[in-house]
Amino acid sequence: MKLTRRTFLKDAGLLLASLGLEPSLLPRMADALEDMAGGRAPILWLQGLSCSGCSVSLLNSESPGPADLITRYLSLYFHQTLSAATGAAAKDAVETAIAKGGYILVVEGAVPLGIKEACKFADENFSEQLLRAARAAQAVVCTGTCAAFGGVPAAPPNLTGAAGVGAALKQAGLARPLINLPGCPTHPAWLVGTLMQVLKSGLPDLDDQQRPTRFYGHLLHEQCPLFAQYQKKHFAQALGEEGCLFKMGCQGVVTQADCSLRGWNGGVNWCVRGRSICIGCARPEFALDPQFAFFRLNENDLY
Amino acid sequence: MVTQKIILDPVTRIEGHLRIDTRVDNGQVIEAWSKGEMFRGFEALLKGRDPLDAPVITQRICGVCPVSHAIASCKAIEAANDLRVPANGRLLRTLVLSANYLQSHILHFYHLSALDFVQVEALLDYSGRDPVLLDLRHWARGELNSNRVLPVAPFLPKLPGDYPGNPEWNLGALGHYVEALDIRQEAHRMAALLGGKIPHTATLVPGGLTLLPEAAVLEDFRTRLRRVKRFIENCYIPDLLRVARLFPAYAETGRGVERYLSYGAFDEADAVWMPAGVVKQDGYAPLDLSLIREETHASFYRGNSQEPPQGAAAPVPQPDKPGAYSWLKAPRYDGLSYEVGPLARLKVAAAAGHRPIAQALAAFLREAGLAEHQLPSTLGRHAARALEAQLIAERMEHWLDQVDPAAPAIAPHQNRMTGTGVGLVEAPRGALGHWITLAAGRIGSYQCVVPSTWNFSPRGQGQDPGPVEAALLGTPINPDFKGLEVARVVRSFDPCIACAVH
Ligand code: SF4
Ligand code: SF4
Repeated sequence: MKLTRRTFLKDAGLLLASLGLEPSLLPRMADALEDMAGGRAPILWLQGLSCSGCSVSLLNSESPGPADLITRYLSLYFHQTLSAATGAAAKDAVETAIAKGGYILVVEGAVPLGIKEACKFADENFSEQLLRAARAAQAVVCTGTCAAFGGVPAAPPNLTGAAGVGAALKQAGLARPLINLPGCPTHPAWLVGTLMQVLKSGLPDLDDQQRPTRFYGHLLHEQCPLFAQYQKKHFAQALGEEGCLFKMGCQGVVTQADCSLRGWNGGVNWCVRGRSICIGCARPEFALDPQFAFFRLNENDLY
Repeated sequence: MVTQKIILDPVTRIEGHLRIDTRVDNGQVIEAWSKGEMFRGFEALLKGRDPLDAPVITQRICGVCPVSHAIASCKAIEAANDLRVPANGRLLRTLVLSANYLQSHILHFYHLSALDFVQVEALLDYSGRDPVLLDLRHWARGELNSNRVLPVAPFLPKLPGDYPGNPEWNLGALGHYVEALDIRQEAHRMAALLGGKIPHTATLVPGGLTLLPEAAVLEDFRTRLRRVKRFIENCYIPDLLRVARLFPAYAETGRGVERYLSYGAFDEADAVWMPAGVVKQDGYAPLDLSLIREETHASFYRGNSQEPPQGAAAPVPQPDKPGAYSWLKAPRYDGLSYEVGPLARLKVAAAAGHRPIAQALAAFLREAGLAEHQLPSTLGRHAARALEAQLIAERMEHWLDQVDPAAPAIAPHQNRMTGTGVGLVEAPRGALGHWITLAAGRIGSYQCVVPSTWNFSPRGQGQDPGPVEAALLGTPINPDFKGLEVARVVRSFDPCIACAVH
């Protein structure tokens, strides 16, 4: 069974729907998929101070699904969790990729700029490996809030001096095309959709935080199915109650992400539909202020 | 033959950053060091925060088993605040936990471990009609005929080794690798149906779950469960039996310390399904939490401490500490290292007198052609994990039946100014405990002792090796394979190093 134009058109259709793009883009999108399948888009995936949640999230991609992603569309030159290569073979694979260059570097996890030994790969500090890999990359994609802005590992007292990849490159005076995909973890559609766009038309539209406006252009709140309840002031007064979760500390009002439209895990659910709050995991400030509790159950007292 | 060093750095297809150093003499490992290579500092960053932040933050310790951290954290906070979770809450948590167990065990066997036992190149000569395999063959041939630098990545390159020539096994396993990607994703959809989303759930909070368990959602969960369960029965179990037949030598490697610890797992409406306890040579004993200490003699933290987790201060990093070689601490129970994980859980359950589990284990060993004394081994650990997946999938229907769609799943929250609490759970990789103290209504101290910390611990105070360091001793090594045998033993423990260090 060969990969036919039909296959690409089918996958492209699903992807367009998931990206919320115009159907007229279908042929271009199918071309982009075909390019990916042709192996013109190798990915080098490195992990810093991460939990691997963004890698697991990639495996939850719905269209294309994980098997198609790994074998058809992404050429994963190296991925710490998936590569067969181990030990010396793993080190060689990374070095071969860096020597060849031209890949998209996907980084998961923050960079320890203080204690450099706090993350190592094949006897090299990750902070140095990252710079070598970024230099040879056509673009750097930071997947997850850790890689984009530091995230949980950068929360005070930040013992390791953890920072986002953009900050690390800046400190080293290295300018590369950079895209931030915050989210803890990143939604697989944000990552796969972005890779597609980079391949086909270069950098997507980015905001001043280097986030694709396609995914991060609106407040979650504005697109939330509970928005009407918010307007009617129908608020949940305790965890587990019905109603808008604003008074439980929901950060949908300050979080730019499209979860309220997209849902998670194939759309079966998402934070607010599960009657929990948005903790703002896609915010650049996520987890960084210890005084700003996630669940502000006393927000009640303010009204 | 002269002594030789075999170093695996990095160990891939695990969670996180791990390096294994060994000394080999006469074709056998005679010494081993397990080195965790990544540190973030969760315990320091939790101090002073709102207690309800803890389940949110600690889930980010690990993207493979966030549910376990959420539950341990919720339980610690509930204990400190004297909250009682309603029966529905207990059951729903258990369903989220077990759904994630299924995704984790399937991921571990097919996507993390199987490539150690499969000859990927067999694909190129495939001549059958299976559409999945034909697709894969087409892809692999195309890659090899292109002038790519790393063709057929991420499946190639790999370490050289004694992969079986048996085409039925090689191709079957590769086909199931692909199918298992869909199945583990389905298990994650199950976890999200009740957990809100995953990785990193939203609905699990101290007191229970925020969501109302609607009947339609429970039925959706059940339909997906049946699909995952069919895969476990029709693919995972038979594939495990095939590995056992093809690699009998691995029933004799990776024995380990033969001491096992389990906190007990899977809360039911008013009981716990798998019992807690410890097992060593002289048999079963109930768990005594006061015997747990974390040692830091070989760890990159200031001082040589030996502290109980309750109230312990956050570790202070010192990467240049003389004699230290890992970011992991060394947990000890009554001064000894213990193995945790599926093998430990089943051993403890059987020794504690859980008849159905003991019988299932005995029957499964017979089927796999393993003697009881071969259970502590590389193969034994894979077998225990597969059997556990099957037992859990069966039990899940029973838990689903007990959920009451009309009843609440959460108790109202109240926060005390001071208090202490411990939350114990079994993560897919073993015993997980969170210890909290409250001070002025905030987190005064927080400690996590994590499954892979137990298994991958470095030397303790008495220079005694950790469980994996001990399990590697005696492993036969063919120098041409560049450490493949070491990797197989290590992966049988399902390492999660982000968890282990945190
Ligand atoms: S962003 Fe979140 S999910 Fe991704 S690596 Fe960091 S902690 Fe894990
Ligand atoms: S709803 Fe908020 S907390 Fe949930 S995934 Fe989206 S951004 Fe993150």
